Amino acid sequence: MKPIFARGISNQFRLTLAIILSVILIVANNRLDPVRKSVSSVLSPLQYVANVPGALLDWSAESLATRSMLTKQNKELLRQQLMMSERLQRFEHLRQENDRLRALLGSPVHMDSKKVVAEVMEVASDPYHQYVVLNHGAMSGVFVGQPVVDAQGVVGQVVQVNELTSRVLLISDATHGIPVRVTRNDVRLVVKGTGVLDELELSYVSKSTDIRVGDLLVSSGLGNRFPEGYPVARVMSVVKDDGQSYANVIAQPLAALDRIRYLLLIWPDEQEQSLKTDELSSTETPLESQKQNSEVSQ
Amino acid sequence: MSMHIANGRWVVWLSFLVAMLFQIMPLPDLVEPWRPDWLLLVIIYWAMALPHRYNILSAWLLGVLLDIMLGAHLGIRALSISLVVYVVVLHFQRLRNFPMWQQALMISSLICLYHLVIFWVQFVVDTATFDVRLFLPAISCLIIWPWVFWILRRVRRLYKVR
Repeated sequence: MKPIFARGISNQFRLTLAIILSVILIVANNRLDPVRKSVSSVLSPLQYVANVPGALLDWSAESLATRSMLTKQNKELLRQQLMMSERLQRFEHLRQENDRLRALLGSPVHMDSKKVVAEVMEVASDPYHQYVVLNHGAMSGVFVGQPVVDAQGVVGQVVQVNELTSRVLLISDATHGIPVRVTRNDVRLVVKGTGVLDELELSYVSKSTDIRVGDLLVSSGLGNRFPEGYPVARVMSVVKDDGQSYANVIAQPLAALDRIRYLLLIWPDEQEQSLKTDELSSTETPLESQKQNSEVSQ
Repeated sequence: MSMHIANGRWVVWLSFLVAMLFQIMPLPDLVEPWRPDWLLLVIIYWAMALPHRYNILSAWLLGVLLDIMLGAHLGIRALSISLVVYVVVLHFQRLRNFPMWQQALMISSLICLYHLVIFWVQFVVDTATFDVRLFLPAISCLIIWPWVFWILRRVRRLYKVR
């Protein structure tokens, strides 16, 4: 019989070493991003391989679609396209008018930003966070902190990038927050994720703030991460409990976070960004505006 | 020492690779909470079969890779997997001689430990809410373990992995 532990170090020592190394990793997690990026770049072909069965299913579903289904879909899309182009005509007119007015006021004119369509890869992620993996990475110019939207609204932001793929943190994650403004009266607020896919909460809303069920929240552009004006969520409930110091406001994200397939990566315009920061510093702080607002509603 | 020359190392690492693929493979939402911990099962098998070759430190390395693949906080699964593999390596002879159902039960309770440790560390370093569905993989692993064991034993004998 061969000796089992004839050589090498004892198991206790190995375990101690493993625990110490793990603790070092856990503590240094945020500083190890370059390492993580290079290792996950090496491993990203695995993600592509893991994505194959899902892609195959999609492909077979597409190629097995019947003629009647396709014509039906085609009709529906044509109808949608007509509606959209009608709206677009009006939008184009409004945009020109808005640009002229902004020019008159001396405010910076909004630039068109670069956008790229990305596909969500069907890959499992850490169950304690809400991530999706996109099929674009550093090679396509994706960067950490980049805003991601879909057809309905803001989806989240890129938190990790490697060469071929990138990871997006959804707005519903418990660690995510996004500055918003109510379209009805321009009250500025912060929307935080709760860890539940279809629920967001608004933090530090004073009870006198004018906010109602059904209010549309759009990104305010403060914080210089998300561009201004993208719809984020709709207020679902406002509870003003006397025992609490702030109102309890729940909102629902507009993007269908549970079934996203195609997303838009947005490259905010650099020039616009710097102009906006100047603009920001000259205007009042959000806290002051909230105070003013509460005074008004009182 | 000539007896102990490693053989079929690539088979073992290939099995780790396949397990990693299964680990990140997409599943329907309904089945997702039941996803067995493929990688950990394969690591446990090799730690049980060849404890002098694949043990805590190789398990730790695979744990780090898993953390990176899942985009999780680094080191959490590494810590958890090394703890589980320590228990396996300590009792590998007993585990080997257990009848299959008893072995599967032991593995399943180790899977529970694995998920609890992950939850605890996650809770400490980040936010986490406790969900009983945490323990569903233990049940699926209980069912799947005999098959994993059977397949890997055939692979080990076929390629004479030592």
